[in-house]
Amino acid sequence: MPDRIDLMQGTLDLLILQVLQWGPEHGHGIGQAIRRRSQEVLQVEHGSLYPALHRLEQKGWVASDWKMSEANRRARYYKLTPKGKRQLLQEQSRWRQLVRAVARTMKPVKE
Amino acid sequence: MWRRLFRKPSEADLAEELEAHLAIETKQWMDRGLPRDRAEMEARRLFGSRALTLEATREVRGIAAFGRFSQDLRYAARVLQRGRAFTIAAVLSLALGIGATTAVFSIYDTIFLRPLPYKDPAQLTWISIHSPSMGIDLVPSPNYVAWRRDNKTFQQLAATQVTFSNMMVLGGSNPAEVYAGRVSANFFETFGVTPAAGRTFRPEDELQGPQAAMLTDRFWREHFGARHDVLGTTLTLDGYPFTIVGILPKSFVYPVDVKVDVLFTLAISPTASLRDRSVSAFSVFGRIQPGVTVSQARADLGTQFETARKDFPGFFRGNSLVLESLRDYRTGNVGKFLYLLMAAAACLLAIACANVANLLLARWGARARELAVRAAIGAGRGRLARQLFTEVALLIAAGTALAMLFVTAALRGFVHFAGTELPRLSEVATDFRVFGIAVAVALLTAALFGALPALRAGRIDPQAVLQQAGRTGVSGGHSFLRRALVTLEVALSVILLSCASLLFETLWHMQNDHLGFQPEHVLTVSIPLRGKSFDTPARQAVASDILAYLRRIPGTESASLADCSPISAGVKSFTFSRADRPLPESFGLSRTLGACDSDAEYLQAAGIRLVQGRFLTDEDRHHPGAVAVLNEAAARAFFPGESPLGKQILGGRAGGWRTVVGVVADTKNQGLNRPAAPEVFLDDSAPSGFADLNFVVRTLAREGALAGALREEMRRSHPGLLTKVETLDQAIGQLTASPRFDTVLLAAFAAIAFLMAIVGVYGVLAFSVTQRRAEIGIRMALGASPRAVLAMVMREGTILVTLGALSGIAAALFLTRYLATLLYGVRGTDPATYAIVTGTLALAAAAASFLPARRAAIVDPALTLRHE
Repeated sequence: MPDRIDLMQGTLDLLILQVLQWGPEHGHGIGQAIRRRSQEVLQVEHGSLYPALHRLEQKGWVASDWKMSEANRRARYYKLTPKGKRQLLQEQSRWRQLVRAVARTMKPVKE
Repeated sequence: MWRRLFRKPSEADLAEELEAHLAIETKQWMDRGLPRDRAEMEARRLFGSRALTLEATREVRGIAAFGRFSQDLRYAARVLQRGRAFTIAAVLSLALGIGATTAVFSIYDTIFLRPLPYKDPAQLTWISIHSPSMGIDLVPSPNYVAWRRDNKTFQQLAATQVTFSNMMVLGGSNPAEVYAGRVSANFFETFGVTPAAGRTFRPEDELQGPQAAMLTDRFWREHFGARHDVLGTTLTLDGYPFTIVGILPKSFVYPVDVKVDVLFTLAISPTASLRDRSVSAFSVFGRIQPGVTVSQARADLGTQFETARKDFPGFFRGNSLVLESLRDYRTGNVGKFLYLLMAAAACLLAIACANVANLLLARWGARARELAVRAAIGAGRGRLARQLFTEVALLIAAGTALAMLFVTAALRGFVHFAGTELPRLSEVATDFRVFGIAVAVALLTAALFGALPALRAGRIDPQAVLQQAGRTGVSGGHSFLRRALVTLEVALSVILLSCASLLFETLWHMQNDHLGFQPEHVLTVSIPLRGKSFDTPARQAVASDILAYLRRIPGTESASLADCSPISAGVKSFTFSRADRPLPESFGLSRTLGACDSDAEYLQAAGIRLVQGRFLTDEDRHHPGAVAVLNEAAARAFFPGESPLGKQILGGRAGGWRTVVGVVADTKNQGLNRPAAPEVFLDDSAPSGFADLNFVVRTLAREGALAGALREEMRRSHPGLLTKVETLDQAIGQLTASPRFDTVLLAAFAAIAFLMAIVGVYGVLAFSVTQRRAEIGIRMALGASPRAVLAMVMREGTILVTLGALSGIAAALFLTRYLATLLYGVRGTDPATYAIVTGTLALAAAAASFLPARRAAIVDPALTLRHE
């Protein structure tokens, strides 16, 4: 297994929103999707994932619904709300800025 | 949407969500070929601590729901607890402001807004025939009878009669004062009152005259211990027997503001006519029919009144019919006093708010660092504003709670001292309505503050503040706002102080103006003689008996039987006439003078100065009706420019002229705040058939000793007679009780306002000095003397106070014209008053600015600059 990286404060929200833009998903699926898409680099602690989901729901960025899951039992599915979509766009552009800024900073200075 | 609202994040929901997670994980491992038990184990291992996840998630939900608010609240409480002096000052200011406003507006509410305590009060009206020449509003009984019979718009027309002295004496071994009201039999039906026990009056009771009595709940409890077997028993008042037929409910309120213990039926003769020698007159209340308007009812009775006026043009000359709703009648004569108090309370609240706003701005200025740090670590402006507003809200809540205590005390004081001045005050009670008003005032206060936290939070610039870290300079800003607030405070308190000192001067004049007599050591004794057994000879016998006894009591210097006192003219009055002029044609107020039957010792007993001629002598009593003594007011009014001595006055067509033998000094016979009215002293010694016996006694004995001795003697020789003993000082005290209450109240308002304004001045300057320490240090380093620095700070204070005082005086000069009717002996524009107010304020403000100024002057430049 490759080294794990702890998520930076605030980035988990972005990742959850990002995952949800392809459709409703339950907590397990969201965690798995993040791990898979980061090629097993980003490990989401369940102790952070579920509080984050509930926090996003409080803010009105995601909504939840009980549906049947593949395990043949009820699971809570989360989906993006219109407000959440707007938030995702904002967060994406802010993230890109941050990445560029960090990258520039890390580049060795050529005198 | 509703699902989102109703779906509570229950514990079970959360557990199920995590269960589902585990189930899915398990299924995935099983799909990869693990047996179920291994798969479950693996899933749980990967998940980690379920308890921790549950806990963390629960916290998110909890805090977001109401956690932010309680967090703010806890934080605000901690902040306020830390700045104890600030908190106490702010809460006390708010409590005083909110309390004063709530108390005064509760009274307004009682008088104007509370429904009258009767069934369908909108149907109730008050009806009278207004006589401008006599200054009275009454309906003669023949008109009442005709209206009651012939009206087309009323369900009921009720009559009441309240004479000014409705006091009666309860018979038995322990005589007591009882206050009686007389009403028509349909009074209860008119007002929709049902008795708590027994019955009300019957129409036939009116014909027999007063025989049946109804007791008020209070009287029944106090005198009969709330016993139900009093129904049907006999009550003896003024020697006449009455049968108790019913007890009024506790909620009953008499529609006229007089004290009432017992109600009787009025004697109403169906055949009374305006041609009769004497006609009784009533206050009339009507319940109009449903659907009938007040103006329709007025038109209905108006036609009847016009008919009566045609038949008796002389009787109703200049009179008019008045019909208004009971509400208008009950609230119509609210004095200016209430409006004055409302204005004063509003001023006080404004000053309190300005003061607290100032304190808050200063404090938040001092907390700039903390606020900046909070902003820097991610608190948004809205969040900070909310936090600051929570502090304000907490202060207001505490202030309101404390204010309720003030309100309860203040309302008690009002009922006690101003009860006679304002209508319906007996209905005032500290209840939920009052609490509601307090909450409304508090919300208003909060609204006034609403913009403040947003303003403060909006100015936070973390970078600027944090870069200054380590410097003592406090970035506060708002100095213009703070100065404006203090100027406003000073102006408002100047207005309040001016009004209060004008009222204070009025009171001083009332109590210290030349009274015309010496009130020390003077007692008045009053003994009501009521009932059939007291005919004129009997009254005379009792009078001389008591007079003799009064003169025997050790310490008595003189005792006099007189039906007036130095502060009240007699009950009788005459139209002035003199033998050498034509007789006056008709009764006219400008030609009346009060008459006082007195004896030779009256002048000495009351301590009144003789101006001219002589007073009545014992010799005069042998041929009563021959002589008269005038007071100076009467001499001035009726004998301008000539000496009244020897003139023949007060006769009629049949003769009976009296010779003026003397003139005595004026006394305050109309009360303390009015000039003396013309008065004549007569030697008609026989006490008239209905008046009570009144004695004026000058004694060296104490009031209690004399009263005790007299009562002892009365119990022995005249059992069953009520004896009232009062010092003249007490009587004067009663006359000044309500103006004194006004004055004390307004003075209290003004004093609080003054204090807050001074604290405000001090606060602004102290803050400004702290802020400018570095600047002052540089100035001193560059050679400014401490004296110059002192002057600089003092000048700042002087400008504030001068601006405030000038605008305050301008406003007060304009506003005190509305005060004119409450003033006596001083004018609303009295320059001395304004000079004193301004001087006092200037001195206090100078003291308030001196402290911060001195602190500035002792700034050590080296220290300050090194600190930078």
